[in-house]
Amino acid sequence: MTPRSGCPVSHTDYTRESEIYGHYALLDEEREAERFHFNDTTERGFWMLTRYEDVLAGFQNHANWTTAVRTALFPGSTIELFPQDLNGEEHQKFRRILNPFFSPAAVRRMEELAHSRCVELLEELAPQGHCNFVAEFAIRYPTDLFLVLMGLPVQDGDFFLPWTEEMFGCMLQGDLDGAAVPKAKILAYFQEAVDERRANPRDPAEDMVTRLVQAELDGEPLSDDTILTTCMSIMLAGLDTTRSALGYIFAHLARNDEDRALLIEEPERTRDAVEEFIRLYPLVIQAGREVQEAEDFRGLEMAPKDVVWLGIGSANRDPRKYEDPDRFVLGRPGLNQHLAFGAGPHRCLGMHLARLELAVVLEEWHKVIPHYRIKEGTELIERGSQLTLKDLELEWDV
Amino acid sequence: MGHGRCYAVAPDLLSDDEEGFVAQAGQDLDVPAELVGQAQDAAGACPEYAITFTKS
Repeated sequence: MTPRSGCPVSHTDYTRESEIYGHYALLDEEREAERFHFNDTTERGFWMLTRYEDVLAGFQNHANWTTAVRTALFPGSTIELFPQDLNGEEHQKFRRILNPFFSPAAVRRMEELAHSRCVELLEELAPQGHCNFVAEFAIRYPTDLFLVLMGLPVQDGDFFLPWTEEMFGCMLQGDLDGAAVPKAKILAYFQEAVDERRANPRDPAEDMVTRLVQAELDGEPLSDDTILTTCMSIMLAGLDTTRSALGYIFAHLARNDEDRALLIEEPERTRDAVEEFIRLYPLVIQAGREVQEAEDFRGLEMAPKDVVWLGIGSANRDPRKYEDPDRFVLGRPGLNQHLAFGAGPHRCLGMHLARLELAVVLEEWHKVIPHYRIKEGTELIERGSQLTLKDLELEWDV
Repeated sequence: MGHGRCYAVAPDLLSDDEEGFVAQAGQDLDVPAELVGQAQDAAGACPEYAITFTKS
């Protein structure tokens, strides 16, 4: 790795696990210490942009900073993802194929089902009086909705879920060999769905797999490979993130009675609360980018193939943008401009679905289980790279 | 697909299309007095800073 000059060096390894909020603490410290760092903990190293304004500018600098590298921590990752790996016009065209399934209008159509599925899961759960939240409910629910979104049977979650868990576990440690096994099973499962839709197409306006099977890019149909990779990409993007967001939200609410009481007494504020939680507890703490052409970015001399860390986690908690940034506060000015979902053309396709899922869980859970606590003795440990709580044992009176 | 924040906070001024973009993109809108609040909220809601609100 070529040493860089022009800014201080960071030796912080963000892939390591820590106690809860440990990564935010490190991010906050580095952001306040210096405007920019060069991090040397990976083979290629990466420029760290941590302040809100710079991170926003980075997302909007998409013509020169592309997703040839998607994550600063594992720049050599060779799991292909669509549409994330595309850039420029190609990327935009591909997104347009998917947009109608993820727009607010499409998500509104899922709302009733989102509620009823949540209620069903809670009916099973409530009598138990306890659960390991992040390993059970919080991952099961987004998986079910993902299957609904894809037009696949909700019951398939029973076998589908262990595959995805295995795959995340491997990928987020950079273990691509380990990930290959569940990946093959997942792709085979999607291949069945693709074959079924080719034989019996449904309405492409409502059924995503049919849409992908019938879509054309520059006059050519998508290859099976592309379709399968797209399905898998959507899955990978939407399950662990939502599960993790729920974990942080419920850890907070279990320990902050006033905030929980507010949501119970004023459920109309749920959407605002969701947005503030998303700002406050981002799981995707960074987006990676690769510099294509040499560029002086605000005093940093960047070379082609340099890796950049766009610090979502630190930007969202930047006091220059948000006063008292590490507190949960409703009604903040500028809240909607947080960068948890990124910005620019690669902004999160699933953001509206994510918002719906989080809001539905907050509403339905508290109707059935308004008071709960973290089981005594539970150690709250978070994974590195893309944050999640490893365990969250909740319990409640039945 | 857009962030959807603008039409969420200014429902009487802005609307979404089937792809999630704001239907009024590229337009100059004259804002009636009673909707100035929504217009200002919309300008302050966009993560891309794509909306400007000016008084004439």
